[in-house]
Amino acid sequence: MAQRTTEIIVGLFMVAGLAALMFLALQVSGLSPKSSGDSYTLSANFNDTGGLAPRGKVSMAGVTIGTIDSITLDKQTFQARVVMSIDKDVDNIPADSAAVIRTSGILGEQYIDISIGGDMESLTAGETFYTTQSAMNLERMISNFASGR
Amino acid sequence: MESSAYITLKDVVFSRSGRRIFDGVSLAIPEGKITAIMGPSGTGKTTLLRLIGGQLRPDSGQVTVAGHDVPKLKRRDLYRLREKMGMLFQSGALFTDLSVFENVAFPLRVHTALPEDMIRDIVLMKLEAVGLRGARQLMPSELSGGMTRRVALARSIALDPELIMYDEPFAGQDPIAMGVLVKLIRDLNSSMGLTSVLVSHDVPESLSICHFACIIADGKVIGEGTPEQLREHPSERVQQFLKGEPDGPVPFHYPSGDAASDFGLPGGAA
Amino acid sequence: MMDRIAAFGRVGIDTVASFGRASQFLAGVLGGVPRPSVGFPLLIRQLYAVGVLSLAIVVVSGLFIGMVLGLQGYTILSDFGSEAAIGQMIALTLVRELGPVVTALLFAGRAGSALTAEIGLMKATEQLSSMEMMGVDPLRRVIAPRLWAGFLAMPVLAMIFSVVGVVGGMLVGVEWLGVFEGSYWGNMQASVDFFDDVVNGIIKSVVFGFVCAWIAVYQGYDCVPTSAGISSATTKTVVYSSLAVLGLDFVLTAVMFGNF
Repeated sequence: MAQRTTEIIVGLFMVAGLAALMFLALQVSGLSPKSSGDSYTLSANFNDTGGLAPRGKVSMAGVTIGTIDSITLDKQTFQARVVMSIDKDVDNIPADSAAVIRTSGILGEQYIDISIGGDMESLTAGETFYTTQSAMNLERMISNFASGR
Repeated sequence: MESSAYITLKDVVFSRSGRRIFDGVSLAIPEGKITAIMGPSGTGKTTLLRLIGGQLRPDSGQVTVAGHDVPKLKRRDLYRLREKMGMLFQSGALFTDLSVFENVAFPLRVHTALPEDMIRDIVLMKLEAVGLRGARQLMPSELSGGMTRRVALARSIALDPELIMYDEPFAGQDPIAMGVLVKLIRDLNSSMGLTSVLVSHDVPESLSICHFACIIADGKVIGEGTPEQLREHPSERVQQFLKGEPDGPVPFHYPSGDAASDFGLPGGAA
Repeated sequence: MMDRIAAFGRVGIDTVASFGRASQFLAGVLGGVPRPSVGFPLLIRQLYAVGVLSLAIVVVSGLFIGMVLGLQGYTILSDFGSEAAIGQMIALTLVRELGPVVTALLFAGRAGSALTAEIGLMKATEQLSSMEMMGVDPLRRVIAPRLWAGFLAMPVLAMIFSVVGVVGGMLVGVEWLGVFEGSYWGNMQASVDFFDDVVNGIIKSVVFGFVCAWIAVYQGYDCVPTSAGISSATTKTVVYSSLAVLGLDFVLTAVMFGNF
């Protein structure tokens, strides 16, 4: 009988642990149940990716629509090639849209913002952004400004 | 007697933390009889029981129990052999988180797959044998010292062992409790034919129930035989131990230097 | 001088030897898996003693630490006008560091010391010996369920600690100091990553749980079976567990969040 009570209490304890895990996953880290399974990849070439990192976010009009998968160096063009996965729902990005590296706030982390173009056709899986804008380098900007160029 | 020995120790040498506790002890414990092993405190009587039970291994020599060479047994076989042994510890060693009933049921639950009602019957029978059937719901903390030992005794006979070892069963017991234990030990031996090994320094009680006795001191067997033979034993040390004389071959003083010089008195030869 | 070197060497050898004994002990405990029908009820009872009974102290400490983090964070962050980042700060601190570490320290003090004292007392009263003489291995019967219970209970306690702390921070930050609730959760969700932060925190607590439980049961099993021996073993459990947790925390943090 006492053993039964103990079992129930321990069961509740473990359930509380699971609930805590769910809370940490959903409420604290904002993990959404829909996984990255339903997404497609796009890529973009940048001259300078600055502090961009894998798992960073890709957004459009301030809404997160995907994440950065990998950043590699293209040895032919000496450019950085960024592969990102975009939510399947967002399947109508105009083909002439530009991928721009931006910084959230002055000191925040960098992310890719997609500025929408006007083309009637959309980018499909595996395609590359034609126009890109590299990371804004504060140091270079200041030195350019100082030397008057 | 030699032919029906249940336990034999042959030239057992054992030392712990540099101190030699047994220096060539040889002993034969006959089957179905009560054997008392006596000796002054600190001669390793409990250690002897642990050697028989396989909890300790001798440095050299042989320990044989029911034909098994205990120190050479594999773990599994040793644990199987121990199911045939019961041991009554000095403190009783009841599991403090289990009731009296559960304590006695413990070995049955672990080693057998008996149904619950059968376990209940056996436990009550064993408790009846020690006169504590009515105390089954008590917790060990609610028992007196004598009752604790009786429950522990019921627990050690729960599996109907062939051998039972008593570690100082009489130490710290009042006369009535002591009488009860003496009666129980004798009854168990005669009714169940148990081989009993009794380790004690209570001479009169031990001699009154044992069939054979041996006295250990300084790592050696200094005397053995039936109680009558021992009483007539020629050795002065045996006589000193049996009669409890304060001075004799075992000196009153712990080995020390010259007293006068220790106290700083003049004239002390240094 | 030679004496001192010799003594130093002896301490070293003793330390290595006790490490060896503790590892052998661990192998003995984990080596035999008891029958599930026997082991499971024992594990449940120990989970109750080790986990459920530690819950109160963990919840209360978590709540207060979350509230203190809220207050301190607000004071510092409002200097930069970024008090909205308070949620992020509280959650990251709790999930990565304070959750696992403080829970482990509380666990060592509350459950670890109790385990050591209990096992030490069982040894002193010959309960372990008598079990051995009944043909039952105390390592499997007594020690193993306690070790596993510590191992399982710690991550659960650490997660509960973090959650309570986050809620405590919200009570202070949002309810009392008036940070906008949306930005409390929003900033938190934007910066806390489930795999990098939450899972790594859980891994930490699993490691701590294992180490604390191991130290506690070993100290109990290895203690000198007298009242002085048990009390010194209990002290050792708390001291060694705390040091091990803090030291391991540094190593784990360097590996997980160090970026090298």
